[in-house]
Amino acid sequence: MAYLLKKSKMLGLALASILAGALVLGANTASSAELGDDGEPIRLAFNEWTGQNISTHIAGTLLTQLGYEVEYITAGNFPQHQALADGDIHASLEVWTNNAGDIYPQMKEAGRIVDIGSLGLNPGEGWIYPMYMEDMCPGLPDWQALVDCKDVMVTADTFPQGRILSYPADWGARSADIIKGLALDYKAIPAGSEGALVAELQAAVAKQEALVMMFWSPHWILAEVDVGWVALPAYEAECTTDPAWGPNPDAINDCGVDAPDTMKVAWAGFQEKWPAAWELLSSFTLERSAQEQMMLQIDGNGRPLEEVVAEWVETNEAMLMPLVDAARM
Amino acid sequence: MPGPSLTYHDRSRIIWLVLLLLAAALMVVAESRSWLIEYPAGWQLPIATIVDTSMHWIVNRLKWLFRIVSGLLDLPLNGIQHLLSWLPWLTTSCVFVLIAWQGGGRRTATIVICGLTYIVGVGYWQECINTLSLVIVCIPLAVAIGFGIGVLGLKSKAANAVIQTILDLMQTVPAFAYLIPILLLFGFGPVVGLIASLMFSIPPMVRNTLLGLSRVPREVLESGIMSGCTPRQRFWWIEVPTALPQLLIGLNQTTMAALAMVIIAAIIGGFDDIGWEVLTSMRKADFGQSMLAGLVIVALAIILDRMTAAFATQRLPTASHSGLRPKRFGAALIAVCAATLAAAAALHPLWTWPDSWVYYPAHELNSVVDWIIVNLGATLETIRDFFLFYILLPVKLGLRRAIAPFTWGFSMTPAIAIGYWIAVFLMALLAWFTNGWRLAATTLVFGGILYYGVTGLAWPVTIAVLTVFAWQVAGPRVAAFVFGSLAYLLLTGIWKPAMLSIYLCSVSVTVCIVLGGLIGTLAAHSSFVSAIVRPINDTLQTMPQFVLLIPALMLFQVGEFPALIAIVAYAIVPMIRYTEQGLRNVPALAVEAGIVTGCTPFQLFWQIKLKLALPQILLGVNQTILFGLAMLVIAALVGTTGLGQEIYLALGKADAGRGIVGGIGMALIAMSADRIIQGYIRRSHNVVWSS
Repeated sequence: MAYLLKKSKMLGLALASILAGALVLGANTASSAELGDDGEPIRLAFNEWTGQNISTHIAGTLLTQLGYEVEYITAGNFPQHQALADGDIHASLEVWTNNAGDIYPQMKEAGRIVDIGSLGLNPGEGWIYPMYMEDMCPGLPDWQALVDCKDVMVTADTFPQGRILSYPADWGARSADIIKGLALDYKAIPAGSEGALVAELQAAVAKQEALVMMFWSPHWILAEVDVGWVALPAYEAECTTDPAWGPNPDAINDCGVDAPDTMKVAWAGFQEKWPAAWELLSSFTLERSAQEQMMLQIDGNGRPLEEVVAEWVETNEAMLMPLVDAARM
Repeated sequence: MPGPSLTYHDRSRIIWLVLLLLAAALMVVAESRSWLIEYPAGWQLPIATIVDTSMHWIVNRLKWLFRIVSGLLDLPLNGIQHLLSWLPWLTTSCVFVLIAWQGGGRRTATIVICGLTYIVGVGYWQECINTLSLVIVCIPLAVAIGFGIGVLGLKSKAANAVIQTILDLMQTVPAFAYLIPILLLFGFGPVVGLIASLMFSIPPMVRNTLLGLSRVPREVLESGIMSGCTPRQRFWWIEVPTALPQLLIGLNQTTMAALAMVIIAAIIGGFDDIGWEVLTSMRKADFGQSMLAGLVIVALAIILDRMTAAFATQRLPTASHSGLRPKRFGAALIAVCAATLAAAAALHPLWTWPDSWVYYPAHELNSVVDWIIVNLGATLETIRDFFLFYILLPVKLGLRRAIAPFTWGFSMTPAIAIGYWIAVFLMALLAWFTNGWRLAATTLVFGGILYYGVTGLAWPVTIAVLTVFAWQVAGPRVAAFVFGSLAYLLLTGIWKPAMLSIYLCSVSVTVCIVLGGLIGTLAAHSSFVSAIVRPINDTLQTMPQFVLLIPALMLFQVGEFPALIAIVAYAIVPMIRYTEQGLRNVPALAVEAGIVTGCTPFQLFWQIKLKLALPQILLGVNQTILFGLAMLVIAALVGTTGLGQEIYLALGKADAGRGIVGGIGMALIAMSADRIIQGYIRRSHNVVWSS
């Protein structure tokens, strides 16, 4: 307890000194705002994956330092958009645009939820394979290698086709589209969950078996397992509309997926109610490597989320405090 | 009556002959006309869209009303949640133990103490409290509403008919299907879970109210009239107390249903409950964590089940424990609260369980699982492939497509196909001579299904065979219902996923019947086996469905096989129970008569015991099918295809129409199966009585 008190005192001191510095600069910062209604807690969505929980917890910590009360509300990835639209939840800080279902664009169009901006993270998405597969399937990472080594990839479930493990069906049919687009003799098998994907990858590595699956980064498992990314024809918008585009002249989708973005999304009334919080969340971004490190700490090493995030916020104070101060005024 | 029944037999024989010939012709024609296999999208009715638009229309106009209800429900929910979160774990636990002791004595109290120790010790107290508050708010509401509806159903025959249909729907439409409409209407938050739990937990209360009140003996009622009671007095002083044991069984079932649904509704989020914890850890493939959290649900389920069941059995004349008298019990409760609060105020760890006392062996469990996968992976895979190659794939795709070098080691040549059909016809002939035309027709039908696969049959054939089958087994009304249900599946465009569901469910149910029948038979003949099986059954049945997915997923990863295992684990219970009960209930006289007439033990079992127990065993089959279908939807979480996946998908798209259409489809399949079996039981019963 005493230790904590000391820490917060030091934090206060640091804050005060930065504040003083920022006051001088503040005169010509255009993006200053009022706190707004700081009596009501800001409710942030807590989704079902660790990366999102980290991003949210960092943002929540910063909002607290700015003087707000923050509540974390557990919410399913899709139901949260209904909650955001109704103002039951006020912001969700890591919405993957490629996995937001139909409800996110619908609600955005209806003007009931708004994008605050991109969270950063520089995410990637595509087919991955464990490194040892380059021996089993010569020619990888080029996608054409998959044509010749189909027999390695045939499984009981997919017979007579090869198997590519894909996202849970409710995340969209990206793998199936690409398979069709490139006319590969493969079948996309939906995994039930992220957990199932990770388990498959771990099991395949343990048994040194062939596996190609749709996956994304940042993810902690990529810090543990050495993987390669299948080189698919690079995505262009025409690829999904013009059959003539790409290696297969008869089909669309004969290319990789569009690089996803991670969006900070808020309830439509957010900016008006908490202008300073809006400012802060607008300028808040997170680096992929930072999130991956924290994920490994939490999921890999089993440390508590709060502890890992607090530690990170403390070490990165110099970078974060200016954001808080810029929003304060 | 030999005359008319002969012509009836002749007629149905001709019908089946024509049907099979037509089916064969259609299947040959279907080779070149794909619309017979895949119903064209252009012929479908846009029912999902209509449902979706009308849903939005309702939501836009009546949302305010639902939001008021939602706000009202939020009050008790918040109150209870805050109270329970504030109370020291010691106080809440001791109150639970005291209530358990009051109901069931030392035994029940011990079980509750063990369960609570696990929950507190593993560090999930707060999440558990959040789940519990939902259940606690749900129970009185469900009991009151269910009781009211039950009384209404008893008063009016017309109302009863409507109520029965609605109950069937409420219990068979999967929860995933109505979570989205509830979310749209009532808004995000724990209220969604509460409403869903209400929908699911009211039916058992209604059914038990109906049963209990209709069984009040006439003499009891008459004595009430004689002693000059008003109808109201008669109801509250005589009928309700007489029906109380049944009503308390209703309370028990309602509680368990509420808990099961609260766990499922966690998928929406908003309450930080134990179901969310399991979902999150399952998503992360953290099996240790999901197992520990899953066991908390199991512990909670067992606690609630034993406590409510104890109060139900206490009313029976055989009960040995009577507990304290109400006044003294109240005093004891207050004393326990005061004492534990004082103790907790003095010693902080008794108020909030310290983190350093938590034992959380998730990491250790994970290493065990890793060891299993690395060392037994090959064996597990062999088991899985065996089932896939020789059972699942043939039923799904048909031998025509399932036999190939990769699976069976050789290709399907025309010679093999001809050989197969000759074998089928020979078996059918044999069946005809030894057992009659019914078995011959059945052989041909199964021969055809196995050749073409459930997904490869032409839809007119499937519809015709199932409708005629329903007609013969259960009569024209059931046949009309089955026909209508199948037409619905076809017209709404969910035929293909529905067939996938039927395929997976029928394989699972078959496994359940064989395995469960065997275990039930053994249990009926040996008290030792029975004593081992009973607690396992109890645990499997009280366990909320998706906890069962965890071990299956852990050992076999994603696919239809782990789904099969999870479905079997859940649906086998009624099969075992009803088989055991049915065989044990065979009158001793009948068995003795068999022994006297010189039956071998084999004959005794097949021709006397099994025949007499058949109606009850069929009830078990019926329950097994309903349980299997319910689990199928949950199994979509581990990546099955079919109708369950359809419904689960709709959750993600917030597509109320698609979810409801799929959900009703599932319900219609369940109700069709139910009606066919019930009809058969009724008919065979009548035959027994009339002959």
